[in-house]
Amino acid sequence: MAESLEALLVPCLERAYGYALRLAKNPTDAEDLVQEAALAACKGFATFQAGTNFRGWFFTILVNCFHARHRKAYVEAEVGVDDYMDLPLFDGAEEHGLLDRSNPAQELLARVDRESIDAALRSLPDEFRVVAALYFVEDLSYAEISEIVSVPVGTVRSRLHRGRKLLQKRLWSLAVDRGIVAGLQGERA
Amino acid sequence: MTTPNAYDCEHVIERINDFLDRELSADEMTLVQAHLTTCGHCASAYAFEANTLDELKSRLRRIDLPQSVLDKVRATLANPNNG
Repeated sequence: MAESLEALLVPCLERAYGYALRLAKNPTDAEDLVQEAALAACKGFATFQAGTNFRGWFFTILVNCFHARHRKAYVEAEVGVDDYMDLPLFDGAEEHGLLDRSNPAQELLARVDRESIDAALRSLPDEFRVVAALYFVEDLSYAEISEIVSVPVGTVRSRLHRGRKLLQKRLWSLAVDRGIVAGLQGERA
Repeated sequence: MTTPNAYDCEHVIERINDFLDRELSADEMTLVQAHLTTCGHCASAYAFEANTLDELKSRLRRIDLPQSVLDKVRATLANPNNG
């Protein structure tokens, strides 16, 4: 049994670790989380139906392990996200006169380093981060995320909507604080 | 709940990311699309969001798997009773 599980698990381990790192926020905890999920997968492998989506099955275990570890710390997302503008980056770019550029979104985000974007994703509250990481990094549909996280599609939609808004809000603040917005304003479009 | 015959800017901005993700009903997709062809501001917001999404997805890179994780997982699978 273990050989068969290994053959399925090893090819998706890199992506599972990447997801675990976004959930756990640091390499040590991400490593522990993946190992814990691997152990749970081993113990529950009899419930996996051959020929179905193994990665989805394993990611569900990973999410469950994350929730079990963080149950005490798992808090509802901060109040106030709904008060933000719907499209914080677009609205900010519009207010600051950046929309006459050929691709303002790309020009803005290209000036933010990858680690800062990743850190902004990792800074989202748990319930948003769990779905946002699957959406942005794994490129999954709402239905696929719904299966992995075991919540209705409408809940995925709502959490993703709010998570995306919060992520954009934080990226916009970062772009302002680092002078990226002012720099773009100073350049000719 | 009935679907209106046309969406205004507020309807469209609320749904723009779901439209981008092709996660609206066929009727809603049509209504948003129809609005985008006539409203420059919402079309601009849509293009901005599409480019933002492309940029974020491409920048949120996959992370290399440390050898230590692979080794530990293999050890766990080989001897799960030690876990």
